[in-house]
Amino acid sequence: MTQKKIKLELKHITKKFGKNVILDDVNLKIYEGELFAILGPSGTGKSTLLKVIVGIEDPDSGSVIVDGKDITDLPPNKRNIAMVFQNYALYPNMNVFGNISFPLRLEGMKKSEIEKKVNDAAKLLGISEILRSSVNSISGGQKQRVALARALVRDPAMFLLDEPFSNLDARVRFTAREELKRLRDSLKSTFIYVTHDQRETSNITTRVGVLNNGTFQQIDSFNNLYETPKTKWVGDFIGNFPMGFMQKDKTHLIGFRPEWAVVGKGNMTAKLVTNEVSGNTNYWMCETKGGLMIVLVGNKLLKVGTTIHFRLKKYNLYENDKFVKQVKSK
Amino acid sequence: MRVEIMKRKTLNNYILYAAAIIVAIIFIYPLYILFMVSFSPTRYTLDELYPSQLPSHLSLTNFVSALTQYNFVSPMFKSLEVAFLVGIITLAVAIPAAYGLSKLNKRLANLIVVFLFMANLVPALIIAIPISVEFIKAGLFDSALALALAQSLFTMPLATFIILGAFRSIPKDIENQARVDGMGMIRTLYTLLVPLAKAGVAVAFLLSWLTSWDEFTFAVILSPLKPTLPVIVYLNITEGSLVQAAAFAAVISVPVIILTVVLQKYIKGVYLSGGLTG
Repeated sequence: MTQKKIKLELKHITKKFGKNVILDDVNLKIYEGELFAILGPSGTGKSTLLKVIVGIEDPDSGSVIVDGKDITDLPPNKRNIAMVFQNYALYPNMNVFGNISFPLRLEGMKKSEIEKKVNDAAKLLGISEILRSSVNSISGGQKQRVALARALVRDPAMFLLDEPFSNLDARVRFTAREELKRLRDSLKSTFIYVTHDQRETSNITTRVGVLNNGTFQQIDSFNNLYETPKTKWVGDFIGNFPMGFMQKDKTHLIGFRPEWAVVGKGNMTAKLVTNEVSGNTNYWMCETKGGLMIVLVGNKLLKVGTTIHFRLKKYNLYENDKFVKQVKSK
Repeated sequence: MRVEIMKRKTLNNYILYAAAIIVAIIFIYPLYILFMVSFSPTRYTLDELYPSQLPSHLSLTNFVSALTQYNFVSPMFKSLEVAFLVGIITLAVAIPAAYGLSKLNKRLANLIVVFLFMANLVPALIIAIPISVEFIKAGLFDSALALALAQSLFTMPLATFIILGAFRSIPKDIENQARVDGMGMIRTLYTLLVPLAKAGVAVAFLLSWLTSWDEFTFAVILSPLKPTLPVIVYLNITEGSLVQAAAFAAVISVPVIILTVVLQKYIKGVYLSGGLTG
């Protein structure tokens, strides 16, 4: 990220299906070597955006630029962008070796060279021992590695992954995330993936783009998304709990994360609605005077209806649901 | 209660089997008579007022007389030639047609398929006469190609429908993946989608082949001088040589029966639903 070379640029991408506007003037710059996540609720056009980048869907307007070259009108097979689909889309009529070598065979590469490339990719992903297996007999995690191996043997300009972790079970999912990061580090290539689950973005990404209603609400590091969400919507969407908001005056809101509040003393009050235990921490869901819900970190179970006093170490100021500044108190 | 449900289930099964047996008899009985007549001397079958339902005095005399009196070889080759041509022509058109339709909005595609079947609604005779006029003009009269082209008119809609169903059952992302991996559209169709839809394609080919093998109306009008097997059977019946007709009919039926049995596992409702349920 030091030289900040732009790998992919999307300019004013718009896509409609019938009357539904799926992508509405999407603009994005992704730098060489990024591990970038596109995060958003389901049905917001995340997958469609990937398909526009790879060329399976044509945008109604706008352009896709890779390495400074406009590729909007190129078919997918001329773009040299690899994509791993959500269900991995392995060719059922070929074995693992056949799947991984497929793009190379299409290029007409020499047999010995194909053999070497496939073996290298299989070694990198730890699937050397299943190369001769049928793709119907391997596990979900292995299928994903096969799909990744098939993507990387081509030395593509970048990798796109659609919900790469959603078909894995919880335990494998955790290690798969780390592996993706390791893969990015060893290949030094650009990875873009789509997810609806923010837990899959927090640790491994360079930046995250939050997509909603067909457009990026905020593109930032996960930490910044959590700390200074640019809109109230992003504040609600990011975090284990939505950001707590309280009315300051007619046009201004105060927004804060649960751990920014100190309970016990202070001139702010809220009424407890429910206790929620998460791990060994107790959270209090409270209702403010204005009727907004906030979350505080509690120290014990309290009776519903108790009035809780608290003060804020810091908070964000929002004007008309737009971020203004972060305020820190002594 | 459970026992009662199970009882009802077995009863339902019995009814189902009984119905299946009755339907099977309705279809098999004429075949049985056909084979009996063709393998027995006439005095035990056609010449008797109440012929026995059981075969007796089996012999090949009818076949020998049919095959020696008539030129059997050239109609047989003509039939084979036309049937294979129909299968090939049908697939050559139905595969790209089905692929195109699979790209369309499902409702529109289904509507177009319905229109494709329009040709099948019109009696063959009405289509055959103008076509034969054109073929005579084009110098194609009595040729295998001309007959195959005409018969393909009727086989194409069903074949398109079947292959469309097979294509629809392939996950979209497999095709997308092939495009991303570097395949062009036509190559994707023929090297990936067709092999994946091979069962549907095979069924479409066979149904087309069988339709042509049995076809009579076009055959008698477009190819009367170098006839196909069904036309030979017809000529024998009109000439009164019923036994020879039966022998020929038996010969015609054999490949149909063999193919149907061998390919039974492919001839499933799934391929005939055109993906309408999925």
